[in-house]
Parts: sequence; C-alpha cells; structure tokens
Amino acid sequence: MKFFRSVTEVFGYSPFKPLVQHAILCGRALGLLQKQFEAYRRCDFSSVERLRDEIDELESEADNIKEEIRMKLSRSLILPVDRHDLLEFLKVQDEIINNCEHVGHMLTFRKMKIKDKIMFEFDVLLAKIMECINEYEEMIAHFSSLLESSFDKKEIERAMEHVKTIEKIEHECDEIQIGLHTILFNSEDLHPLDVHLMEEWVVHLGYIANSAARAADRFRIMILGR
Amino acid sequence: MDPTIIFALIVSFYVAWNIGANDAANSIATSYGSRALTLRQLVILCAILEFLGASLFGKNVVKTIAKGIVPIEILEPHLVVYGMIAALLSAGVWITIATYMHLPISTTHSIVGAVLGFGIAAASQGHLKVEMIKWSEIFGIMLSWIISPIVGAILAFSVFLLIRYILFSKFGSKKVEGVFRYLQVFTACYVAFAHGSNDVANAVAPLAPIFGYSAAGYYEIPREILIFGGIGIAVGVATWGYRVIKMVGERITELTYTRGFSAEFATATTVLSASALGLPISTTHTLVGSVIGVGLAGGLASINLRVVYKIILSWFLTLPVAMFLSIGLYSIMVVFL
Repeated sequence: MKFFRSVTEVFGYSPFKPLVQHAILCGRALGLLQKQFEAYRRCDFSSVERLRDEIDELESEADNIKEEIRMKLSRSLILPVDRHDLLEFLKVQDEIINNCEHVGHMLTFRKMKIKDKIMFEFDVLLAKIMECINEYEEMIAHFSSLLESSFDKKEIERAMEHVKTIEKIEHECDEIQIGLHTILFNSEDLHPLDVHLMEEWVVHLGYIANSAARAADRFRIMILGR
Repeated sequence: MDPTIIFALIVSFYVAWNIGANDAANSIATSYGSRALTLRQLVILCAILEFLGASLFGKNVVKTIAKGIVPIEILEPHLVVYGMIAALLSAGVWITIATYMHLPISTTHSIVGAVLGFGIAAASQGHLKVEMIKWSEIFGIMLSWIISPIVGAILAFSVFLLIRYILFSKFGSKKVEGVFRYLQVFTACYVAFAHGSNDVANAVAPLAPIFGYSAAGYYEIPREILIFGGIGIAVGVATWGYRVIKMVGERITELTYTRGFSAEFATATTVLSASALGLPISTTHTLVGSVIGVGLAGGLASINLRVVYKIILSWFLTLPVAMFLSIGLYSIMVVFL
C-alpha cells in the first residue's frame, strides 16, 4: 500500500519485548546446560558436544537481540526508564547466557568419569541456579504489567520482591559452591587435571547465578531510578 | 454549469476524499489500535461523525480560509474564482505528492499556503496592495499551528496523569482499562466530529467565493458546500480510510484504552476549540502532540521524537511549495483565460 500519510512513527521502538525474549533465551540455555551435565554423567560425549552447539546457537540468537536493542535504542526515543540504565541492565543480563555458554564449552574440554557423589553435588547446584533463573524470568515478566500500569507503586513492589528472592537464592548457590570446592580440593584420589577442570565448572556455574543477581540489581536500579 | 466550476468541484471533492482517507483515518485509528471497536463499526461511526462535524460546525474555519487571508471582497469576482481554483488545485497536487511520499504534511497548511500564494500573486499584478493581505490573521493562524500540538500535549499529559494517579492507584490498571474501553467509543466519535469541523474547510473553503460567498448581498457560507465536503470526507473514510485505519491501528497496539482515550480526548478538545475560534489547525499534528503528552506522562513504552523534526520540516516545505504552485497556476489562469 503506497498511498497514505501517517504519523505512526511517533510510536517508537520499544525494547521491552525483546528484553523479555532475551531473558527467556537465558533460561532455555540453562535448561540445555542441565541436559548437558546429564549427558556427561552418562558419558554420552557426543550429546555433550551437540548440546554445546545448541547452547552456542541460543547465545548467538541472544546476541542478535542485544545488538538489535542497542542499534535501535536511539537518543530520540522517550522511554519510561533511563536509556543508559536499560543498556547497562541488558549488558549484565547478557552475561547470564554468556556464562552458560562458557560452561557448555568447558564440558567438552576433557572426558572424565565423575563419581556419583560429586555429580550429585553438581545437580544440586544446577537445580539451585535453575531456581534462580526461573525467579529471574518471573521478575522480567513483570515488564508488561509495569508498563500497563505506568509503573504503579504496587506493581513495582511486586516486581521488587523477586529481586530479593533472587539475591537469596544466589547466596544459597554460593554455599553449595563452597561445599563443592571443599569436596573437590579434598579428593586426593582424583587426577589433578580433573579437579582443576571441575573447579572451573563450579566457578563459572557460580557466575551464572551471580550475573542473574547483578542483572536483577540493575533491574531494580533502572525501575526505581526513573 | 461553467466547466471551471465543475473542475473546482471535482478537485475539492478529491481533496475532501484525501482528507477522509488519511487524516480522518489517522485520528481515529487509535480506537482501532486498542480494539475498542471493530473496523466496520469504526468506519461507519467515523464517516457519520466526520460528516456531522463538517456540515454542522465547519463554517467558522471556512470563513477564515475563504476571506481571512486574502480580502476577496475588493477583488474582481472572476479573479477570485481563478485564485481559489488555483489554490485548491495547488493544495490538491501537493497533498497528492506528499501522500505518495508518506510525508506527515498538513492539508491545512497546504490550503493556507496556497490561498496566500493567490493573494501574493494578485498583489504582484497590482490588483491588491501587499499590505491588504491579512498578515496579522495569517500570523495568528501560524501561531496556532505551533500552539495546538503543545495544547494537545498538555491536555493529554494532564488527562493521563489524572487517570494514572487517581484511577490506577485506586482501582488497579486492569479494571480501569476495562471501563475505558467503552469510553473510547465516545472519544472516537468526538475526534471524528472535531476533525470534520476543522478540516472540511481545507477542501471546500475555496468553493465558498466561487458560489457567491462575500459577493454583494451574500454574506453567509452556503451550507451546501459544507455538506458536499462532509460527503467527500465520509466517502474517503469508507473507500480508502479503512485501510489506513487498519494499517495504523495494527502498528500501535501498545496504545491501551486509557492511553487512546487521553490522546483522542485531548486532540478532539483542542481541534474543536480551534474550530469554534475559526482557526484552521492540523488535526494530525495535534494528535502527535497529544501522543507525546501521554508518553511524557509515563504512558507509553517508547516515543520517537524524530517524528517532530519531520513534522517541522514538513511545515517549512508545505507553505512555500503550496504558495509557489498557487502563484504559478493563478498567473497562468489570469494570462490565458
């Protein structure tokens, strides 16, 4: 259709749906990472590699969304939140999926037979991180009601409750990590390279929960700092 | 009937059609964007209320454009007829080009520029003194072009802020939106009526002198031309405007009932006040102002201010283009007819 005049351009690019989409990709990547650990436990290393590639794909999809938001978020837009805060928030949220990707890569570095006791601890840690990311996704889902209510006080309070929960879960992740480190560094029977690699896994898994907590904090700064 | 008059009628009807197809459609599309009404309901409602606004309330603005810019009563009647046909044709040509190029121009600015062009041409040919052109009125009109989007913005800002801080915080946004869904039917009617009352003049004001207005002993605007323009706009809405409503409405789904209400209410109030004062203003530009007002009140996810530069650019483009086209056409007609 060619023959028309319109002023729809006044409605600018809205970054909020893509932001939610980006957070959903983070959650999906973590789900794949859990599956990858499961495959590792079964010593199904071809699946481990396949899952690494799948996580890579999600990560590059998330990168595209990030780039799109950065490109289209021009200074001529009036947004209900500070543009700079929003970009900073996006940057930290992107680290969630980046860290998932790192761990996914590290699972393919070395083929090991991991003892059930240690693997169980990894499962506990992964489940806790999943809990953290699920909570994170719930927080992000509040964008729509926040926008619809024009950042009504009650809606803000509801969203902020998630931030506290995320921070609490992140702390619990830290404690599980301490337990895992202690086990790993006291496994004299293990090959030092095994210990070293698993210790890297623990650290980077911690980064996932850590990024989620930091992104939640940026979310809070962005919403409360309007 | 004189063939020049038939020609004038055709051009006028076309301009009215274009106004209905684009501007009427744009101003009502917010109601479709929020799905308060179906497309069919909206088109019927819009066509009827545009017609009513035009035929019942369009007189004052017609008066301003017909004789508030150029003192037609002191010119020879045949020159006035040429001048008005030249103005109408110039506005029609420019509006057509702008529509193809998707420029957010105003039909109001086009016709005002074109009529002014005729006045300047008449003055340059010695039929009129330059100072006889009603400059103070023209500056008043131009001032109203700057003020009207600002008034729309302030009104919309206030209305939405009231909704937000009184209704949202008391009843919750979901409940309030539900009620405003029905209020949007009212604002859709309101904005269509207001638009008809102001913009019909852009198409039919030049017909008024052609049909004897302001000639000796004929000082009333002939009602027939308002009805004629109203029909043109209604036909524009019904034959092409529905596509524009659909397209625009689909792009602005984020405009919820309360936001749509605020923007339309502010626009309609501003435009109808201007009609009462006889000021020809741009409904579309007022609507843009109102939407920005809602955005500034924290009602929208994203507002693109670049459109403001585009609109300002279109002001600077429309006036001279319409004016020079009109000067050229009028001169040709005076020389050859």
